[in-house]
Amino acid sequence: MSSHKIVGKSLPQIDSWAKVTGEAEFVTDIRLVDMLYGKIFRSDRANALIKKLDISRALKLPGVKSIATHADTPGIFWGPILKDWQILAGDRVRFIGEEIAVVAATSEEIAQEALGLIDIEYEDLPAVFDPEEALSPDAPLVNPHLTDTNVAYRFKMERGDVEGSFAQADYIYENTFRLNRVYQGYIEPNGCTGDVDTQGNGTIYAPSHYPYNQRRLYAEALDLPVSKLNFVKPYVGGSFGAKFERACHPISYVISKKAGKPVKITLSREEDFIASNSRVPMSIAVKIGVKNDGTLLVKQTRIVSNNGARTVSAIPVTSTSCYRVDNFYRFKSVKADGYIMYTNTAPSGSMRGFGNAQMTFALESSLDDIADHLGISPVEMRLKNVVHPGDKTIHGWKIGSCGINDCLEKVTSSANFTQEKAKIKQNSGKTKRGIGLACANHVSGNRGFFGPFDGAAAYVKVTEDGYAQVTHGEADLGQGQNTVFCQMAAEILTIPIERLKVPVSSTNTIPFGLGSFASRGTTICGNAVIAAAENARLKLLEAAAVAIEIPVDQLFLKDAHICSSRDETIKRPIAEVVTDYIYQHCGQNLIGEGFFKPDTEFDPVTKYGNISPAYIFAAHVAEVAVNTDSGEIEIINYHTAHDFGKIINPLTLAGQLHGGLAMGFGWVFSEEMLTKNGEFLNTNFLDYRMPGSCDIPDTTNQYVETHESKGPFGAKGASELMVNPVPAAISNAVFNAIGIRFQEIPITPEKVLAALGKL
Amino acid sequence: MEKLVDIVLNINSQKHQLAVLPDSLLVDVLRDSLGLMGTKKGCGIGECGACTVLIDGKPVNSCLVLTLKARGKEITTIEGVGSKDQPDPVQKAFVEKGAIQCGYCTPGLVLTTKAFLAENPHPDTNEIKQAIKGHLCRCTGYVQVVEAITTAADSCSDKGENNE
Repeated sequence: MSSHKIVGKSLPQIDSWAKVTGEAEFVTDIRLVDMLYGKIFRSDRANALIKKLDISRALKLPGVKSIATHADTPGIFWGPILKDWQILAGDRVRFIGEEIAVVAATSEEIAQEALGLIDIEYEDLPAVFDPEEALSPDAPLVNPHLTDTNVAYRFKMERGDVEGSFAQADYIYENTFRLNRVYQGYIEPNGCTGDVDTQGNGTIYAPSHYPYNQRRLYAEALDLPVSKLNFVKPYVGGSFGAKFERACHPISYVISKKAGKPVKITLSREEDFIASNSRVPMSIAVKIGVKNDGTLLVKQTRIVSNNGARTVSAIPVTSTSCYRVDNFYRFKSVKADGYIMYTNTAPSGSMRGFGNAQMTFALESSLDDIADHLGISPVEMRLKNVVHPGDKTIHGWKIGSCGINDCLEKVTSSANFTQEKAKIKQNSGKTKRGIGLACANHVSGNRGFFGPFDGAAAYVKVTEDGYAQVTHGEADLGQGQNTVFCQMAAEILTIPIERLKVPVSSTNTIPFGLGSFASRGTTICGNAVIAAAENARLKLLEAAAVAIEIPVDQLFLKDAHICSSRDETIKRPIAEVVTDYIYQHCGQNLIGEGFFKPDTEFDPVTKYGNISPAYIFAAHVAEVAVNTDSGEIEIINYHTAHDFGKIINPLTLAGQLHGGLAMGFGWVFSEEMLTKNGEFLNTNFLDYRMPGSCDIPDTTNQYVETHESKGPFGAKGASELMVNPVPAAISNAVFNAIGIRFQEIPITPEKVLAALGKL
Repeated sequence: MEKLVDIVLNINSQKHQLAVLPDSLLVDVLRDSLGLMGTKKGCGIGECGACTVLIDGKPVNSCLVLTLKARGKEITTIEGVGSKDQPDPVQKAFVEKGAIQCGYCTPGLVLTTKAFLAENPHPDTNEIKQAIKGHLCRCTGYVQVVEAITTAADSCSDKGENNE
C-alpha cells in the first residue's frame, strides 16, 4: 500500500460536509412544486376478502385531492422473485399492513385523517402465522389464488455420501436453533416521491440498493416500458438490506398519475416497522457427524423460514443459510432441506449478513457444543476444519486469499483465550465469567443472484477543470462506497480526492448495474471503477500526445499533470488536456468507460460453482460476566480479527466494523420484533430496543490484510461479515460461564434467569 | 379548519414571520414551512433524537415541541452551526473522525454535542456517552462519534486557552 497516495489512507467520506451541515438531501427532504402528501390505507386483517371498499367520504374531506385503489393499477401480479405482489390489494388481503388504497392530500395530516374516512368491509378467513404450521396439509392457504401450497420455495441440496459419513462418525450432534425477526433499524424512514406527467412519464425518487432493478420491476408492475420511468436515488439514510423494492414506490407513481401532481409518501415509524421486510425468522435443525479428534465429516440441516405473505428475499436468504457455511469448514458431505413458507404475516427479507448470519449462530453454537463434548479446544476445532487458500470447497467455491488461521491466532492471543478459559474453570460467586469464540465467512459478490451476468460497469468523467465524476450502478447507502470508488479513481488519475465526486444516481444517466448486495460493491464495482479510470487515463495521454506532439508511450500521469519520461520540463495540467481532448473530439466529453467481469460461475439447478471473486473471514472472542442473580450479561471485552483483504480506507472501514458489531450486540441482547396473530406489537424505538451509546462494550479489533489478487488493489468486501459471528461468540461465552446452551436469541436477563431455574 | 396563528420565530439569529396551526410541531414548521431540511425526522415521537434542535441553547426533540412554545426563544438548527468554509469545531471533528456514515442522525448529534460541550467543556468518555444516549445511530456503533466529541472538546478548550 505504501506506494499509493490515496488508496489505503484514512479519509472521511467524500460527502461528509454535506451530511454534517444538513445539506445532504434525503428522500424525506425532497420538495417539488405543487407536491401533495400521500398516506397508505393498510389492511388491519391477517387474511380476509375485501367485500366493500368505499372512498367517497374520504374524498369529500377538504384538502383531499385524489385516492387510488386497485382499480387504478394494472392489476398485475409482480415481484422481485415470485409474482405474488400487487401494487394495491384487489379482492383479498393476506397480512396486517398490506396496502389497499392511497390518499393524496395537501398535507400529511389531512391525508392521515382521510384514511379514517375510508369504509371497508372484510370477510375474515382462517389464517396461519407459524411456518411449521403452514406446512401442515390442513393449514389455511395464504395465496390460494396463486398456488395450492404454502411452500413458497423448497431448497434441496445433497453432496457427498451423507449416510456413509454419519456411519463413520464417532459422535453425532443434533440441536435446533430459532432465529427471531429483527428490524434493520435505519434512522431514515422509508418513503418516496412519485412525479408523473400527463403522458405517463414518471420519476420515482426513493432509496435503493439497486436502482436499475427497481426501475425494471416497477415498469413491469405498472405495465410501462422502462423508458417511461426514471428512478432517482438521493442520499440514503441507512438500509442494511431493507431498502430494496417497496410497495410504496409504484404506489407513488399510481397516485401521482391520478392526482396530476407529485406525491410524497413518508412512512411513519410504526408503518416502517411493519413494512421493513425484516430479517427472515427461521428454525434451523442441525445434525453434525464428527470424528473423535474433531474432524468434521457431515452436516445435515433442515430450515423452515417465515417468508410472510408475499416474497421479498426470504428465498435467497434461506438458500444462503442452507449452504454458505459449508464453504467455510471442510465437510466431506452435506445435505440441506429448506422450506420457505408463506404465512399471514408481513414479508421478511434481507438484512446485513443475509442468511449466513442466522446459520452462523446455529453452526458456531453447535461446534462449541461438539468441542466441549469431545474435550478439545474450540480453537483447535476450528483450525482443524477451516478452509485454506487454494481449496475448492464442496460447493465449488475457489478459495483465494484466506487469512482465517491468522485471524484465529490474533484474536485468541489478544484475548489470552487458553489461559482465560482455564481460569474460568474455577468460577465461583454470583457473577460467572465466560469466554467464547465464533468464526464466520462471507462473500464479496454472489453470482447466483442474477442469471444473465455478474459484474459491474462504471464511468469516470474528467472535466475541463481537472475534476472527475464517478458514475456507477451500485448504491451508496451511507456505508461509504462512493468514497472508496473515488479513492480508486483518484489514485489512478493522480487527482486529489477533493476533486472527485459521485453525482446523484439516476437511471437516466448511470450504467446498468446489479446494485449493492452480497458485499459486492468494493470488489466488483471497484474493479470496474479502476477499469474506467484507466480508460480515462489512456484518453488523457492520447489527447496530450496529440496536443504536445510527444509519443504516448513517453507520457505518464503524476500529481494531476501529464509528464514526459524524456523531458521533465514538460508538465501539462490534466485540466488543459481535458480541454484538448474535448476540442480534438468536437465536443465529446472525456469519459472513461470500464467494466469488470468476475470469473464466477453458478449452476442454478445444482447450486454448484464459485459464486464470488473473493471470500472474507472473521474470528471473534467474547469475554462476558453473567450475573446469576439479575440474569444480566456484561461484555468485559470483545475481540475481533477480520480478513477483508487490503484495506482501502481504514477510517471508513472502522466505521463499518463498529456499526456492524453494534448491530450484532443489539441482536443478541435485546432486539426482537414481537408478533401476535400477525400483528406487530413493538413498532417503536422504546419497545424495540436498539443499542444506544451506553450499550456498546469495549472492542479490540485487528485486521489480517491478505492481498486478494481478484480484488481492486487487493481489497475484498467488508459490509456484512462482522455481524455474523457476534451472537454465537457471546452465546458460547455464556455457555462457558453458566453451562447453559441458548438455542435462540436474544438472550435476555429473563431467559437467563429462567434457564437457571430462578424465574 | 383550525385558525392559523401569526407568530415570529427567531431561528439562527434571524426572525421569521409566519402563520402556523396552533397544534403544529416545530419539526414540521422548520422543514415544511421554512425549508430548513437539515433537521431530520426519524420517528416523530421523540425516541431517536434525529430532529434535535437547540432552544435557548438546550437540545430538544423538535417533534415534541409545539411551535407556539418556541415563540420568543432562540432556536438553533444545523443550518445555523457552520459550513465547510467556516467550520464549527464539532462538525470538523465529526468529519475527521469518521463519525458520519449515512448522515441522517448527524445534524441532531452535532447540536446535542454543541450544547453539551458548552456546559461541560472537559467531559470524560462516560459523560459523553450519557450526553448522546438520546440519539439512535444505526451506522456507527457510536465509537467514532464518541471519539469525535472527545476531539471537539479538546479543540474547543485549546481555542479557549489560546484566547486567554
